[in-house]
Amino acid sequence: MKIKPKLFILVIICLLSSCKHKESGYHNLKEKIEEESKHYQDPGISSEVYIGDIETIEITEGEHTFLIPERKSQLKSYACTECHSKPLSELQQARDQQQAHWEIKIKHANSQTMNCATCHNPGDMNHLNSLAGIEIDFNQSYRLCAQCHSSQFEDWKGGAHGKNIGGWANPRAAMSCVNCHNPHEPQIASKWPVRFNTQKEMERK
Amino acid sequence: METIKAFMSMVKDSLGYITHGSRTYHIWMIFLTVIMLIGMYCYSIQLDEGLSVTGMTDRVSWGLYISNFTFLVGVAAAAVMLVMPTYVLHDIDFKQAVLIGEGLAVAALIMCLAFVVADMGGPSVLWHMIPGIGVFNFPNSMLAWDVIVLNGYLFINISIPLYILFRHYQGKEAKASVYIPGSILSVLWAVGIHLVTAFLYEGLQARPFWNNALLGPRFLASAFAAGPALIILVLAAIRKFSEFRIEDKTIKKIAMIVTVAAQINLIMLISELFKEFYAPTHHSESAYYLFFGLEGKTALLPWIWTAIPLNILATVLLTFHKLRNNLNVLYFCCFILFVAIWIEKGFGLIVPGFIPGPYGKIAEYTPTWIEIWVTLGIWALGAFIFTMLAKTSIGIELGKLRYRKKEVLDSESV
Amino acid sequence: MAEKKKWFQLDLGLSKAQGSGSCGCGKDSGDCGSHSDHPDKEYRLTAEEFDAAVEKELMGETAVSQTQKDGFQQVFDVKMDRRTAFRKLTASLLVGAGAVHTSCSLTAGNETKEKAQIDWEEQFKGNYKLMTKEEKQATVDRLVRSYQLRKKKNIKMSSADASKDVLFGYAFNISKCQGYMNCVSACVEENNQDRNSQMQYIRIHEMKDGEGFKFNEADDNYYHEVPAEGHFYMGTQCFHCDNPPCVNVCPVEATWREEDGLVVIDYDWCIGCRYCMAACPYDGRRFNWSKPEVPEDEVNKNQHYLGNRMRKKGVMEKCTFCVQRSRAGKDPACVEACPTGARIFGNLLDPDSTIRWVLENKQVFRLKEDLGTEPKFWYFMD
Repeated sequence: MKIKPKLFILVIICLLSSCKHKESGYHNLKEKIEEESKHYQDPGISSEVYIGDIETIEITEGEHTFLIPERKSQLKSYACTECHSKPLSELQQARDQQQAHWEIKIKHANSQTMNCATCHNPGDMNHLNSLAGIEIDFNQSYRLCAQCHSSQFEDWKGGAHGKNIGGWANPRAAMSCVNCHNPHEPQIASKWPVRFNTQKEMERK
Repeated sequence: METIKAFMSMVKDSLGYITHGSRTYHIWMIFLTVIMLIGMYCYSIQLDEGLSVTGMTDRVSWGLYISNFTFLVGVAAAAVMLVMPTYVLHDIDFKQAVLIGEGLAVAALIMCLAFVVADMGGPSVLWHMIPGIGVFNFPNSMLAWDVIVLNGYLFINISIPLYILFRHYQGKEAKASVYIPGSILSVLWAVGIHLVTAFLYEGLQARPFWNNALLGPRFLASAFAAGPALIILVLAAIRKFSEFRIEDKTIKKIAMIVTVAAQINLIMLISELFKEFYAPTHHSESAYYLFFGLEGKTALLPWIWTAIPLNILATVLLTFHKLRNNLNVLYFCCFILFVAIWIEKGFGLIVPGFIPGPYGKIAEYTPTWIEIWVTLGIWALGAFIFTMLAKTSIGIELGKLRYRKKEVLDSESV
Repeated sequence: MAEKKKWFQLDLGLSKAQGSGSCGCGKDSGDCGSHSDHPDKEYRLTAEEFDAAVEKELMGETAVSQTQKDGFQQVFDVKMDRRTAFRKLTASLLVGAGAVHTSCSLTAGNETKEKAQIDWEEQFKGNYKLMTKEEKQATVDRLVRSYQLRKKKNIKMSSADASKDVLFGYAFNISKCQGYMNCVSACVEENNQDRNSQMQYIRIHEMKDGEGFKFNEADDNYYHEVPAEGHFYMGTQCFHCDNPPCVNVCPVEATWREEDGLVVIDYDWCIGCRYCMAACPYDGRRFNWSKPEVPEDEVNKNQHYLGNRMRKKGVMEKCTFCVQRSRAGKDPACVEACPTGARIFGNLLDPDSTIRWVLENKQVFRLKEDLGTEPKFWYFMD
């Protein structure tokens, strides 16, 4: 019976030494992130190569500076004035010329709010214009969108909206509005899922 | 030198003794061997194909093997219920039963280890677990604890009876000062193996069905019911098939242990059921699945509704002295209690822990024949080992196996 | 499938289908001649031939085929049959002897020797977590070389460690996800997941609007045009908890949290006990129930030791935030593939990163926060 106290102590020691070791003294993850990022130094990882062939331009909006794809070179028949040399009414009259933009249907808000001239300037086809009539470059078309979609614009600048290009590290590059949304028909179409797991279906039977 | 010679002689004698026996004995051993061979063949298929030949999936990732493992840890732990009164409290009644009990513990532990190995995805890299050569995640992982306590318990349970039998083989009395500390250690250890095994499940916040403070105590209660119940059945068989005399008094005393443990187990079951069904939360889904089925998935209903009535019936019958003292009723009760607890602690505990899954998905589990045969093979292995151990120890205890110094010397000189 | 047949035939007395109509080649349809190159043809060997074959194997090639069992099944692609399965039971003890024999033998070819040498070293290497830089490089070199020897193709495998001042985090925009599952598909292709069992790290749950997160009523295996009316979509995968329960329970430390917050697995050290799977509250872990297979031309050859290298059967695997990409500064495959921009990945320690902006400016939450696992995977809405 004398052995029992000794064993008891042994068990206690075992139990104490088996407490989970926490390497850091932080109470939670948020504290830890805040604490550790105080002395943050750039780890020297670059995502630049992953941007690939996409030609980008740097923009600065508020406190955010990042890259977005260059747009004008991607437009099929830029500059627009190559065709739009005459006023629109004259072009529409000319029956002998080829029809253009016939496939564009505006499905963006409703006809009370939006028509072609809400964004395009009939007087200067090479540029877009804001609601107040200020000229906007095609490369900065996001400014046009931001007029109404202000919350999305905020999210986009911060990185909560829109798709990142390449990698998580610097330099930051993000898709611009028109890279994902067709400005004339911004709703993304529904489609079928890419995959269906037949095995999972069987397991659940 | 003399000791080694005596030991060699004991090994030789017992080898001779276990290979000879009555016709029934041989048939029994051949039967077990056949089952083991089938089990081995099935295991070879499992090794070859991977665990996909079992019914386990990503949803229910532990099945029949781990269920049996959990149950058998309890059986192994129960041997202590005989050790304690005999060696520690000097209650002479149990002395014949205790060797049998410890033999049973050894067999159960070997089965436990076999079930764990059978459940491993990579049995060939199990050496990663050996401290020193591999990396042992101690004390963080409860499985690491379990490996230590199971192997330690196996060691204790082999060495104590071996010492006693060896002394008896030489015709000497076993020294109390040697085996009593070991016995006390094994008493503590037995509680340890079962608690640690319960903690294995209890410590998982991901599985609310297991993450339950009552799990450990319930493991102990059910183990101390099922284990001695099995011992009673085994003693009954030994009484019938060998000359080893076991008194009714011994069996009745063990029956008392079974009864008390079964009663406590039942109380805990009621407490658990009350908590799950009186104030059901999201965490009671598993219990609902187990007892009533969820979304039309009812695979466990026949099992659990067999187990619960059997459990209650056995406990009630055992509670009445008159019924319990009737040996035939007692054997019947022990049998149904054993079956009931096997279901409850095995299937009824492990499988519903995984159902519904972390995201509420239900995929049911049905063991395949491969799994069932491997399981049967391991049970046959356990029975095989136990039979050999019991036969040897009975032989020594009855004095049929004795060290004969003279003869050995004679045979050496020839 | 002939392979499936194998274990159902085992019912022996219990099923009478066996041996009645099918030919001895193990297939129940077609004629035997149509697949003469099938490994099952060995079934028809006579006893002497079998013994001779065993003898030969034990003398020569067994070392290779046997250690493969334990080594990386996927890479070595050995064809197995029932006989080898049987033999394995007894011959596994001869593995070591066989390997030594082969590597010392004068008759064996240089490549065979080299293979045996690699297998031997791979079988008895240590835990990756505890390796020195040189040891890590050595095992990576061995794996690359053995792939070259076996498949005659080159792979690129990295052993890049975590960078200082990096802690990876992930945010998921519930209002943006449309349930297209491009992420699931990209993940499978990037990470060389088993095609047979259709293993997927990512699950997309389709939930009803206005009912909150009812995961049990959500459908994570839908197949209809998406987004479905009145539903929203939510993706789950490994959340790379900062206090991961799976790491605590692993008995051999085969899984651990790296310095940059990734929870990774050493596939060669894992013993396959699946305790981590039971411990994960997020269904983030997957097990290789059988030998994983990827068609050779679909194998992603840009690999990382802790990431998408070939797995073997009987080990755990899981999302690693595409460690082979993320440590090189690239976005994980799911982020890159998502057409909606619902997935945001970045460095939590960089105060100017987009992930930090999301955490500080959006209403974020995590799943099962009450468990104290501290996932590094946040959800938010517009």
